[in-house]
Amino acid sequence: MADDPLSTTFAALADPTRRAILTRLARGEATVKELAEPFDMSLQAISQHLKVLERAGLITRGRDAQYRPCRFESAPLEEAVGWIERNRKVWTDRFDQLEQHLRTIQRGQTTDGTAAVPEPTTTKEEHDR
Amino acid sequence: MSETPQLGEVTYTRIYDAPRELVFDCMITPEHLTHFWGPVGVSTPVENIKVDPRPGGVFETIMVNDETGEEYPSRGVFVEVTRPEKLVWTEPDVEGGMTTTSTFRDLGDGRTEVTVHQTNVPEMFRTPEAQAGMQSSFDRFAAYVVTQK
Repeated sequence: MADDPLSTTFAALADPTRRAILTRLARGEATVKELAEPFDMSLQAISQHLKVLERAGLITRGRDAQYRPCRFESAPLEEAVGWIERNRKVWTDRFDQLEQHLRTIQRGQTTDGTAAVPEPTTTKEEHDR
Repeated sequence: MSETPQLGEVTYTRIYDAPRELVFDCMITPEHLTHFWGPVGVSTPVENIKVDPRPGGVFETIMVNDETGEEYPSRGVFVEVTRPEKLVWTEPDVEGGMTTTSTFRDLGDGRTEVTVHQTNVPEMFRTPEAQAGMQSSFDRFAAYVVTQK
């Protein structure tokens, strides 16, 4: 499995319990014990999830040796969401522009019999079908 | 345009009023690509596009920001080239090896449906459990959490 930051974020978010933990922490910091209560899970199981979230940079933990309260960190999530949004925009624009380009070259072919841009030689015969 | 909200995967679909062969060729021909590859505000000069449409062949572009001149190189390698139905390339440099699969469906009335499916893709995202858990929840969750700041 890839270990780049974005994949780590996605992997950490793949688990519904971890997303629920983050949703809870988005409202304010909490201890492991407080987090364990609503989930009907052992402290150990919760701790495992917290370790994954911590490695992904999605939470940080306080220094208090006994309680180590967990705090939500939004930066990696914003990074992941940002990537999705940027990627979506690239493909939306690309599709829009391809639509425009296809219109242009097809219009070119019908009005003066030539394409607006050179056709690839290997596929020329296919275009005129 | 529709998108699946699956975590780590995206799907984009568009229908073009053009024959399938032409749409397919636009995706593998520098002289065509230069006209639409950009997003808005970004150009892809034809001399910056290398396409060798066969398995193992390169698919490289350098997009250039129109305002700042900043360059965005992209290095892809074709995995499958089946004209005019399917085009698959991977980008080893991107987010742990993103794979882009484009399928071209002839709608029978002169139109072509293009579907671009990208996976970026830790193996675990493909388990049924992960798929079920991730359906749509990520987008809602992410949108929610980011507004909580």
